[in-house]
Amino acid sequence: MTATHPEPDVQQYPAHFEPPHGSTWKSFFGPGLVRGAWMAVAGFVIGMLLVLALRWWWGWEPLWNTEVVLVVGAMVLAPIGFLAGIGSFDYWLHYISGRPTQPEDHSGHGARTWKDYFRVNTDHKVIGIQYLVTTFTFFTIGGLMAMFFRAELAQPGLQFVDSQTFNGLVSVHATLMIFLFIIPAFAGLANFAVPLMLGAPDMAFPRLNALSFWLLPIAGLMFVASFLAPGGAFGAGWTGYAPLAEGQPLGQTFFNMGVQWAGASSIMTALNFLVTIITMRAPGMTFWRMPLLVWANFTTSLLVVLATPFIAGSQFFVMFDRIMHTSFFVPEGGGYVLGYQHIFWFYSHPAVYIMMLPGFGIVSEVISSMSRKPIFGYRLMALSLLGILVLGFSVWAHHMFVAGMADWLRVPMMITTLLIAIPTGIKVFSWIATLWRGRIHLTTPMLFALGFVTMFVIGGLSGIYLGSVPIDIAASDTYFIVAHIHYVLFGGSVFTIYAGVYYWFPKMTGRMYSETLGKWHFWLTFLSFNATFFPMHYVGLRGMPRRVFDYDEAFGNMNLFISIASFVLGASFVLFVYNMITSWQRGPVAEANPWRARTLEWQVSSPPPIFNFDEIPQVVGGPYEYGVPGARHAILTPTKEAQKEAEEVHA
Amino acid sequence: MRKGIVQLVAIGVVIGVAVALVAVLFQWLPESASEEFDRIQDIYWFATWMSVVIFAIVGAVVVYSVWKWRVPPDDDAEGPPIHGHTGLEIAWTAVPAILVIALGIVSAVVMSKNGETKDDALQVRAIGQQFAWKFEYPEHGDFESGELVLPVNQQAHFTMEAVDVIHSFWVPNLGQKMDAVPGIETTINVTPDRTGDFAVVCTELCGLGHATMRARARVVTQAEFDEWIEEQRT
Repeated sequence: MTATHPEPDVQQYPAHFEPPHGSTWKSFFGPGLVRGAWMAVAGFVIGMLLVLALRWWWGWEPLWNTEVVLVVGAMVLAPIGFLAGIGSFDYWLHYISGRPTQPEDHSGHGARTWKDYFRVNTDHKVIGIQYLVTTFTFFTIGGLMAMFFRAELAQPGLQFVDSQTFNGLVSVHATLMIFLFIIPAFAGLANFAVPLMLGAPDMAFPRLNALSFWLLPIAGLMFVASFLAPGGAFGAGWTGYAPLAEGQPLGQTFFNMGVQWAGASSIMTALNFLVTIITMRAPGMTFWRMPLLVWANFTTSLLVVLATPFIAGSQFFVMFDRIMHTSFFVPEGGGYVLGYQHIFWFYSHPAVYIMMLPGFGIVSEVISSMSRKPIFGYRLMALSLLGILVLGFSVWAHHMFVAGMADWLRVPMMITTLLIAIPTGIKVFSWIATLWRGRIHLTTPMLFALGFVTMFVIGGLSGIYLGSVPIDIAASDTYFIVAHIHYVLFGGSVFTIYAGVYYWFPKMTGRMYSETLGKWHFWLTFLSFNATFFPMHYVGLRGMPRRVFDYDEAFGNMNLFISIASFVLGASFVLFVYNMITSWQRGPVAEANPWRARTLEWQVSSPPPIFNFDEIPQVVGGPYEYGVPGARHAILTPTKEAQKEAEEVHA
Repeated sequence: MRKGIVQLVAIGVVIGVAVALVAVLFQWLPESASEEFDRIQDIYWFATWMSVVIFAIVGAVVVYSVWKWRVPPDDDAEGPPIHGHTGLEIAWTAVPAILVIALGIVSAVVMSKNGETKDDALQVRAIGQQFAWKFEYPEHGDFESGELVLPVNQQAHFTMEAVDVIHSFWVPNLGQKMDAVPGIETTINVTPDRTGDFAVVCTELCGLGHATMRARARVVTQAEFDEWIEEQRT
């Protein structure tokens, strides 16, 4: 049943669709990008003067220290100025300072024109799309960097760039893909889908949600801008190991600080998801009736909240060593070099699951609705997410089997690492069991979901090789690792992001994408992905280390092949972008529920009404009851009737 | 149904054989030149056969299901409401658990064997520095070499140090790898069982010259080794 959606009550939300209006004065001093720009400049100037004043006061020489001025001015106060300028803090500042808060006029809710996507908007659906467009922009930049250094790697020796630039390209590529694409793209999809799936009108903290989005472009610009720093971009890898990172040129600081902004964004979003999922479920939506995407984001958010502070700490320590001359990781000063790796991986291993679990959720939604069958073993699927969550915190040192850490740590870390294969295996087997005897609709999201299942199995199996300490000793830090992480993060995460974008595209835009182009996109991506990354297993095991611009001539032909395949992979992305843009503009109008799915977001119009549900839905059953006669997930009628109907269903 | 099972198994066998051919027809591993790497290769094959079987199972079910139960877009029927199967779920929890624990045990055994240092092991110090390796033989006098020379069939016990940043010592054919970390000493054992020339590469990003931080490793007979030591001393 589909609810009706009258135009929102104009009386109830007086300024509902009114864009902020006013004179030039107002556009200069009212919240918006213009005020954001000048307040960012003002923030930088204040930071610079503060540093100069303090250094002068203490008589430190030289008075001008570029790195310190940049950290305080450009990387702390300028972003805060920007955020204040675009209006992220207006409501809170009014509240804190005791001034009357402006009543929520909902003008920052919903989007009528494309301009509304460039303001602080508190609507989770708008924020979701803001996230996705931003993250795909950075995906493009990171992808172009990858193709650039693949061009360099097509032949041994240096051809196009110097070695600092090469290291910079590799490091910024990885950093953008992780912090500005995979993690936030999942946050974007979940931002759009989770409140709808819960039957909630929005996230629990819409203003916080807007703020966490706007932190992202700041982090992204910092990473990209590091190429402009004297000495070039940060080149110690995305892992930024000390002490190499401590001796790097200025660009390294951009990494240290960029991670703080991206991390703050993740933590805020995760807290928001946790509160939303715990407190804003529709009546009847028990934990065991939540769609698996919601479960996946619940566990992911727990991981983010618990783990992210560790990478923040590790990067602050490196920066303190660099500019304040502390010695957290400087052996001559009593520092402990391996300490960096322990702290870093205590975040960055759980981060692998932060980049994977939301994808598990997406794939569960897609496979179940496209196979027209209930997800196989729903409870075990949810429990295995929790199993991965718990085990995920006990395996970090498997990244350090050859790092020289305490020998006794290796066996326990190997065992926990191998044990993670069990909950992961449960998920894979349950997905393929969901296919069994289904009625399979091979749409584009389904193709990407099946592509994910098979490619992720390869990534998981190479992970088992690496979990075994002796094999890891031979394969660690080689192209085998590069192959493994791309099978997990590209064949895994990116495929699920594609699946999710295609799956919810009609819901987000109200239009249908081109199925033909989507299928071309899938097959081209699938084949060129394998051609690019599968041979990397080989060159790695045979002796090619990772992060090198030059290599043994024996690997020349293989690398040329890999480079050519990577350009095809890059080209396949153009199909996707073209499909998305043209379909959003003039694709056929989508139905409310083109996939005949049962979860709540499909029971409202496409795109959904501004407050999602005109009446709070009453949840009466599981989300995947395909083929069960008379089964309902929820009833979307005025509340009293829904309760009555719910009682009947139970009776 | 029986016909279906036969078809499914046939698809699984085809995929399994194809993947197995990929695994055996290419020489994925460098030729082993050490006892340690021989043992590592045994586990590698254990993991490979396990992977071939698992990939064949998953691949077969996906391909078979799509082939058998694909419907046209306008089909609006629902599949059978199967919610789960406790027996199957227990099976695919227990069987992988047994497999990975077996792999863990085999790995732990190899690890402890590769970690045993004999009393008569040749002591070698490997020093990583941007961007070159230096090798010292403390039992044989006070000299440095830019080339690693090891006697065949004699365990070498490496102690690693780093002067500036983290480096990682790797000889692909010897199979052993260990980081050289500033401020601490790390160790690893290598017992070459075949003479020949091999490459030493640095596998931990160590700065601008990381890619070119390579050295030569020569495994020679004991007599040749003694001769080389004499030359170095003078």
